[in-house]
Parts: sequence; C-alpha cells; structure tokens
Amino acid sequence: MQGPDQQAYDRGTTIFSPDGRLYQVEYAREAVKQGAPVVGVRGADATVLAAQVSARSSLVERSSVEKLSPVDGRTGIASAGHAADARRLIDLVRRRAQTERLRFDEAATAETLARAVADHIQESTQVGGTRPYGTALLIGGYDETPRLFETDPSGATHEWRATAAGRGARDIISFFEERYSHDLEDVEALELAVAGLLEPTGDLDPKAISAVTLGRQGYEPVDEGGIADALDAAS
Amino acid sequence: MGMDPFTETAPSTDALTPAGSPGSISETGTTVVGVRTADTIVLAADRRASLGGRFVTNKRVDKIEQVHPAAALALSGAVGHIQAFARILTAESQLYRDRRGEEITIKGLATLASNVLRTRPLQVAPILGGVDAEGPRLYSLDGAGGRLADRYLASGSGMQLAYGVLEREFEEGLSRDAGQRIAAQAVTSAGERDTASGDGLTIATIFPDGVEFTEFDTPEGEA
Repeated sequence: MQGPDQQAYDRGTTIFSPDGRLYQVEYAREAVKQGAPVVGVRGADATVLAAQVSARSSLVERSSVEKLSPVDGRTGIASAGHAADARRLIDLVRRRAQTERLRFDEAATAETLARAVADHIQESTQVGGTRPYGTALLIGGYDETPRLFETDPSGATHEWRATAAGRGARDIISFFEERYSHDLEDVEALELAVAGLLEPTGDLDPKAISAVTLGRQGYEPVDEGGIADALDAAS
Repeated sequence: MGMDPFTETAPSTDALTPAGSPGSISETGTTVVGVRTADTIVLAADRRASLGGRFVTNKRVDKIEQVHPAAALALSGAVGHIQAFARILTAESQLYRDRRGEEITIKGLATLASNVLRTRPLQVAPILGGVDAEGPRLYSLDGAGGRLADRYLASGSGMQLAYGVLEREFEEGLSRDAGQRIAAQAVTSAGERDTASGDGLTIATIFPDGVEFTEFDTPEGEA
C-alpha cells in the first residue's frame, strides 16, 4: 500500500479497506443507482416485472433497449445499471437454465437461477484481475408460487415481495412498503409496479414503460393497452 | 457454465452392435418414417425397444420428440443417445428463442443438429421434420453430421421395408390424411417382418404452430 489514504484501497476489487469495505463493489452499486429503474411486485398468482425504458434520444429505437429479458420461457430478468454487464449475466442465466434441463430434464427454478448468477457475481469480487458487475438484477418466476429475487454487485441475493433497483430505488421501495399487500391480483400487481415507477418522477409516457407477468403460463409481456390502463389507474 | 453434459466417455460402438449375444444396451431397433404433405410434415414410429432385436425391453417407447414448437425428431439408435440428443436440441432451440426473441428456422435447427452429431459420438440416425415460413421441411441426419433434405424418408432397422411402401405410395402435394395413412402403413408394414420393430405406432403431425401426437398400442387392423 502506498499510504494511509483511501485511494489505495480502491485499486483492486479484492482488497478490503481498513474499515472492512470493498470500494469497487460500492462504486458498482453507484453505477446501478444511475440506471433507469426497474421494479418487481409479487402478486397472489404472478410476479410482475416492470421497467422504465428511457431512450437517450428520440431517434433511438426503444425496442432495442433491453431492460426485461426472458429466460427459458418461464423466468424473467429486469436489469438496472450497466446494460452491457447485464447482457453477460442474462446470457449466463439463460445457459444455466438450459444446462439444468440437460442435467435433470427439469426446469430451473427462479431461486436456482438467482443463486447461480449471484455465485458468479460474487466471484468477480474475489478473483484478481476482474471488476464487479455494475448491474443489479430482479429475477421473477413462478415455482409453485410467484417468486422474486434480487442480486446486487456484491453477489448478495434476497427474496422480496416487492422491490426496485436503479434510480430512485430507495423511494420506490418505501412506497411499496406502504402500499404492498400479499394478495394482489395480476392487474393490481401491475398497477402497483407501474405506480412504483411513477413515484420518483410523477409522470411517464406509456411508451417508456415495459412490463411482463410471470405466472403459471410463464413469461408474458404486457401489451400497450395493459400498460396504459395500469398507468391511468396509478396516476 | 458449459452446456456439455457429456463429461463421461461414450460407450464404444462394439457395445451397441452385439455380435453373438443380445446386447446390454437398449436400442430402438426401430422403423421411423417422415412424409412431407402439402402443408405439414407427418412423422411415424413404432414403439418397440429391444436388445439387439432379440428381446423386447419396452413396448411403449415414444420415439418422436418435439424439440421446437413446430418441429420434431423421429429417433432411431441407442436409447440413451437419442434421449440426450433430443434434450440438446430442445435446450438449444429454447436458448435461440430466449436470445433472439424468435424461433430458429427448420433449416437452422437441422444444421445445428448435424453439428451436434458431427462433434459428439452419438449413435443415432434421426429424421427431423418441421414447418416454418419456408413451408414443411424434412431432413435425415446421420452420425457423421450428414444432413440431407428429402420429401419422404425412413430410418432404422426396418427402413428397407418401410421404403417399399413409401416408394409406391408417395406423391407430391399429399393431403394430411393421405400422408398420415402412408406413414402409418410404412411403419406397420416394417413391423410385420422386422423383429426389432413393432408394438404399435406413434404418429406426429407437424403444423406451423404445433405438433399433434396420436398413439396406437397395436398396429391398425390388428386391434
């Protein structure tokens, strides 16, 4: 170490600071906070994932902005933070889901997939020469009941009833804490998710929102009409 | 995380083709056929698994596996190999769907299947059929990765007998019913004389948006 200053401890991800922090991981969490927000709400019969799809310019094709991704037709991932990092992780989850089918001829549960991707993320905080992923993922699925997991750049994973990642996540989570109830119908879960996205800004173009439901039928994108209705109910 | 489930060495070819005694590995023996009709693909297969055609190990084998919303494999070969092969194709076509948001074409799926066969020691001789924007497509695949398109095909130990029926009955632009009838005839006809084929029939009809299966426990006419 080149001195007692904090700078020395953020050179590598694998070096703890004297007060027990991994600065690179904390910086990665900052990268997540700057990403467009995504939310997840677990209803009685399905988990809903929703994302704010913000385009840098009116010339960008919104359909090319990847915030919600299907995995194995039955699990969904919403990502906030570095989009390029998210792509790596999503592909890892997709391959893992198919490996599970090859090995056991059974579908991978959302929990299995969340743990698998979290293990991989954790490795990047402990192996020399790597940098942490600047991405948080919300992984939604249906394993007998609706499930919703979150992974962060440290590789920690938690199961949530409703949560958010990205810009304004803290406010959105407080909002969910006040409004969440455990027996939401699919439509109510979607309305709450969209209301959560509205919380930091107060106003959103329906085109800037995409959402999917993950119930017994698997990954089902919500159409424009469904989003517009949820937005009306929420605002 | 790799995709490769084949960490163990594959059994040698000798074990699959026992000379003097019944083998220790279940083979489908098998007669499988594929027929292209005007707007569908019809696949048909017998339901017997045996040890070298000498002892019947299973009389209710499903030899046609759906590996894609509008494609299926009719399988002949060593049972373990064909099951693994079908799982690989199903997983790869799901991965394609996840990554690209659309279905792999039948030609793409056949090429993928042939690449899998060329790079792994799988003792299988499948027929792959499917329907996409190009229409109904039928391919035969072999263990070295050969991929040949055709209008009607037969594979397995009863293939010569089945081809006798197909050569006589096939014509272009068949109706769905006629295709099903010809495919069923080809398989049941092979089952009459090939000791490794028999115990009924599975027919799969492949449409642009799905695959319809029908099973018969005994050959038609005998029931």
